[in-house]
Formats: sequence, C-alpha cells, structure tokens
Amino acid sequence: MTLAFVGGTHRTVPLALRERLAFSAEQAAEALARFRDRFPGRELVLLSTCNRVELYAAGERETVPPPAEQLVSFLAECRGIEAALLAPLLARESDEAVVRHLFSVASGLDSMVLGEPQILAQVKQAWALAQRSDTSGPLTGGLFQAALRTAKRVASETALGRERLSIPSVAVADFARGVFERFDDKRVLLVGAGKMAHETLRYLREAGARDVVVVNRTAERADRLAARLDARPGRFADLIAELAAADLVVSTTGASEPVVTAELFARAEAGRAGRPLVVLDLAVPRDFDPAIGTRPGVWLYSIDDLGAACEANRKSRQREMPAALAIVEEEARRFMGDLHHRSTAPVIERLRAGWSETGDAELERLFRRLPSLDEAARAEIRQAFERYAAKMLHPPLESLRNESRAGPPHGLLDALKRLFDLKE
Amino acid sequence: MTTFISGISVVCFAASYLVALVCEASRPLFRSGLRGAVLVGFAAAGFLAHTLFLGWRAATEPAVPLSSAFDWYLLAAWLLAGGYLWLLAANPRTQVGLFVLPVVLGLVGAAELSSRAPFPQSPATQVWGAIHGSFNLAASVAVAGGAVAGLMWLIQAMRLARKRSPAQGLRLPSLERLADVSGRAASIAAWTGAAGFVSGLVLNAVNRRSGLLETVPWNDPVVLRMALVVAWLVVAAAIGRALARRPQAARVGAWLSLVSLGLLAASMLWGILGTTRHGVPPTHAATAREAAP
Repeated sequence: MTLAFVGGTHRTVPLALRERLAFSAEQAAEALARFRDRFPGRELVLLSTCNRVELYAAGERETVPPPAEQLVSFLAECRGIEAALLAPLLARESDEAVVRHLFSVASGLDSMVLGEPQILAQVKQAWALAQRSDTSGPLTGGLFQAALRTAKRVASETALGRERLSIPSVAVADFARGVFERFDDKRVLLVGAGKMAHETLRYLREAGARDVVVVNRTAERADRLAARLDARPGRFADLIAELAAADLVVSTTGASEPVVTAELFARAEAGRAGRPLVVLDLAVPRDFDPAIGTRPGVWLYSIDDLGAACEANRKSRQREMPAALAIVEEEARRFMGDLHHRSTAPVIERLRAGWSETGDAELERLFRRLPSLDEAARAEIRQAFERYAAKMLHPPLESLRNESRAGPPHGLLDALKRLFDLKE
Repeated sequence: MTTFISGISVVCFAASYLVALVCEASRPLFRSGLRGAVLVGFAAAGFLAHTLFLGWRAATEPAVPLSSAFDWYLLAAWLLAGGYLWLLAANPRTQVGLFVLPVVLGLVGAAELSSRAPFPQSPATQVWGAIHGSFNLAASVAVAGGAVAGLMWLIQAMRLARKRSPAQGLRLPSLERLADVSGRAASIAAWTGAAGFVSGLVLNAVNRRSGLLETVPWNDPVVLRMALVVAWLVVAAAIGRALARRPQAARVGAWLSLVSLGLLAASMLWGILGTTRHGVPPTHAATAREAAP
C-alpha cells in the first residue's frame, strides 16, 4: 500500500460531530506536526472544510502509510473524540481508490453543491499547509498536483461549474446581466428588507452597482437598512418616483398583496423615458403584478422564474457528471501508471548499474589490449558502448512502463530480477 | 514569399471562415478544450489570408487598388471579419461569430459572382470614385453590423421574455450593448449611405462634364435601387431617433435593421443579376452585367 485515506463528509458524519471534528488552520498544523513525529518518513495532507475532514497519508517501501485504524485513532486523538464513536462513520480507502476520491473532491464532484469551485482552493490550502509542516513529500506532492490538474480539466472541459445555482446569483449574473452591460451607471431600488435582498445586493455590488436606494414601509427600518448596506434611504410615499428613476428593482417585502400594481406602475412608466427596467421580485407572495412583465421594456422575474432557471442549471450540471467522471478516471489511471512505474525505479537502477559495470570492465580490458588508442578513439568507443547498452535496455524498460499502466508490474519485475540476477 | 502570397485564393480564407463558423455552431452543443484554439486559429488564419489576398491584389492590379466589384465585396467581408476577430478577443464567451460569419461568407460568395474587372476610371474622377466607393462600403458594413446586432437582440429578448437563463446554450451580449450597436449602426448607415449616393451623383456629373466616361442615366436600375436603399436607411434612422425615448425603441430598431439588411441584400442580388450602365466601360455599357453593389 502506498496511499491511505480516512475521512468523513456531510453524507456520513452528522453536523454536530462534524463541528467537533473540524480543524482550524492552527489545529491542522499541530496535527500535522504530531503526525510527523509519530510516523516519521510518512506523508500526510489534512483537508478540513465545513463539509469534510479527510486524511491523505502516503509512504512506500520501509515507510508504508499507517493502517486505516491507526489513522482513525490519530484523528480521534487530535480532536479529542472517542475513536469508537468516529470509526463507524469514517470511510477508508487505499491506493487507486484514494486517487479517484481526491480527484473527485478537488473537482467538486463530491461536494454538497455539485461543481462548487471553493473546494479547489481548500484542497490547495491543505496541500500548502502540509508542505509548510513538512509532511508533504514526493507522493502526496504528485498526488495533489495531479488532483489540481484534474480539477482544472473538469472546469475547462465540462460545464459543471459554469451555471449558477443560487437564486440571487442567477438573478444578477444571468438575467440582469442579460439585459444590462454594466451596473455602475444604473439605479438599483431595493423594496423591502427580505433576507434575499442582501444577498442579491452583494452580487449587484460585485457587478459594479453603486447607486442603491432602499425603500421600506417603515421609514426607520429603511434608514437602518440603508446605513447597513451603504445605500441611500428613500420614502415609501415616493415609490412611483423611485420606480421611474430605477433601472433595476429588487423587491422582497412581506406584504400579502402586490405592492406595485399595474396601475401604479403605469404612473411610474410615464417618467421612465423608455429605459428598460429589470424587476427581481423575490417576495412570496409577489410584490409586482405579473401583468407588469408584459409591458415593453420591462423584464420581470418572480422567485419561481428564477427557481426554475436554477433547477435547469442544476440539471445541466448533473448532465456533465459522466464527462467529469471520465476525466477523473483518465487522470487517476495516468497517475497510478506513474506511481506503479515509480515502484520499478530501484530495479531499473540496479539493471542499469549492472550493465554499466559490465560495460566499464569490458572497456577497461579492451583499452589495455589496445594501448595505441588515443583519447578521441576511446571516447568514441565508450559512447558506442553506452548507446548499445541504452538500446538493449530500451525494450525491457518500455515493457515495464507499459505494464505499469495496468497495475504494479510484479511479474515482470520478478522476471527481470531472475533473468539479470539482480540482488535486493 | 511572393509565390506563397500569390498562391492564396478566395477558397483559402472562405474555408477558414467556414471552419470557424462550424466551431461557433458547435459551442452550445458540447464543451471542448481544443475547440477554442481551433476557432481562434482558423478565424485568425482566414483573416490573415484575406488581408494578404487583398494586399496582393492592391499591389499588383494596374488600376486604382481594389476598384472592382469583386474587391469591393471582399473589402466589406474583410471589415466584418476584422470586427469579428476583435469581438472574439474581447468577449471570447459570446457567440457573435454565429451571426457575423454567415454575412462574411455571403459577401465572399457575392464577390465570386461579381466582375473582377476594375470600374472605368479617369484621372478626373478617381477621387470622387474612391469617395463614392468608400461611403457605400461603410454604409453596407454598418447595415450588416447593425442587422447582426439587431438579430441577436431579438433572440436574447425572446429568451429573457420566456424566462430562460441567457447563460444556458447560446451566449450573447447584453440587450443594452446590442441595442447600442444597432442604433449607432443605423445612424452611420444612413449618413454614409446618403454621402455615398450624393458622391455618386457628383461622380456622374464630373463624368458628364469631362466626357471621358459614359454617364449613368437617372433611370438606371443601380441609381433607382440605391436611392430606394438610402431613402430607407434615412427613414429607419429617423424612426429610431423618434422612438429613442420609448420602451419599444430597441425592438423596433432591431426589426428595422433586419429590414435594412434585407433591402441591401436584395439590391446587391439585383446588382449581380441585372443589367446597368453603372461601373462598366463605355463600349460595353448597354449590355454588360451590372458589377456595382
């Protein structure tokens, strides 16, 4: 075994236990230092996010990674949790399954929100911390590098992370951006103080919106909200004028009747000078009369419209899963091929050394028998010997490489050892 | 090098644009890491070959550079292809090429059907001829660009009205950007079209006074269809301006731009298939096939 994995995610570990299991950056550094002292020569990367805590251990030959049960105990000990409580909830994997799992995690395929991109940054951070803590070596280095490459491929070759999934992000980044090119010259009107207004405004601010007016039935609440959101308070009595001046409206009141009726909007429309208006009606029940959406130049979206778009995006992501998994599979095979080939290195080294020693001895004998050879001629003969050795060794080494792609080439290694009498 | 450039044919860049168009059309269907590079590569290679081809013709033609109907169509296609490349670099995720490249290929096809013989020239009319051709070229490119933007506006608006996320499938610029381009193009087309027509009248008058070249009569099909197109462009721009402060302005502008392109295309087709005295040597004027756009 070269790679070992132990970990729990939102699927297997209840939230209460996940909270106790989670590591802060300092705690993770301490745990890595403890691992280094307890298991010298082994490698470890600790990935801890709000949805998962995972240990990726690696080692080879004399320093194989600790068995899964030792890793579980180690994890339990680090977080002060009974190992017996944790053990049944944690997954254990080894070698190729570890590679597949990490590649899937880094690509967002194992995330609660399929294809979410934050996990990639968290994987990078976990690896960087292991490097700083001196618990990452050539095996985990290669593994995490390959994981980042896989995630990059999944992101660029599939549409997995392309569509947005939250209503505020779809409302702004898809629909509002479909109408407006820029937001820094637009007036945003917030009607009401619902939770989703804050999130939507955050996306609008990121898109460049600067001029924001908050209107609420309670003037004090509008003032407080405006101060908190770095916006300008407006008076509810001026709603018609505010609607006339706005380019984008986000409405989230708790009113049981439409706040903006078709008649009220018709009065505001006269002052709009034909400018297009995007209305994101995120209230339930709706704040805007649906008939307003049929007016020319008005793009009205209710929470159901946006929800349907989110669902379509979610399905679109699901459709990308086979393509993403194929990339993970391809990269995992490639990595395992390299890993298996890496295990043949000592045999190859001994094989080359044996040929080199025999060649050198023969050359010495030849040069003694032909003392008249000058240095240039000797160099030529030496090069010819080296080329001959390289050519003779190429087929067996190539066979070894090819065999490594399918799995550890134990049979071929044994044959080479016996054929060429290679001692351990 | 000279042999290489002289070996470039219309097929070279038309085929490159066609491959780029196929790449654009496949974008909503599947994702590929390679396609972007192929798309940019073929679009850029096509534009380079197109540029070298026009450069070679300008350098080797004995007459005023690029003064045949064939060159005129290829120049219009070259300007649009250049604009497309710029848009591809600025907004690589939008699929503008799906709309621009068919127009480019259509113009290349029109060039192939047109005469390669230069328009008759005399030293007295060279300047007015160049002005006339340049304004008409600018007007035609503006009409094509405006119509492309208008068509994209209508598609984007339809998707937004049906509450379909614009991020799904075909990726297009925002309505605001498209309406802006379409509106500006309508104004440019009207002004340059009118200037092209007036400069054509001046050119005709200069020809008549110098007596070196045959003049085009008022009832010539080219004069009539160009007058119709220019009148329409001016009316369309005026309607667009009149509706500027109405919510329907962008939609009406988009439809007007499509009608403008339809009229211009019909006019060009008429030009290719009909007979005229416009742009042909005096001895063949009565029977020659019309060469001018």
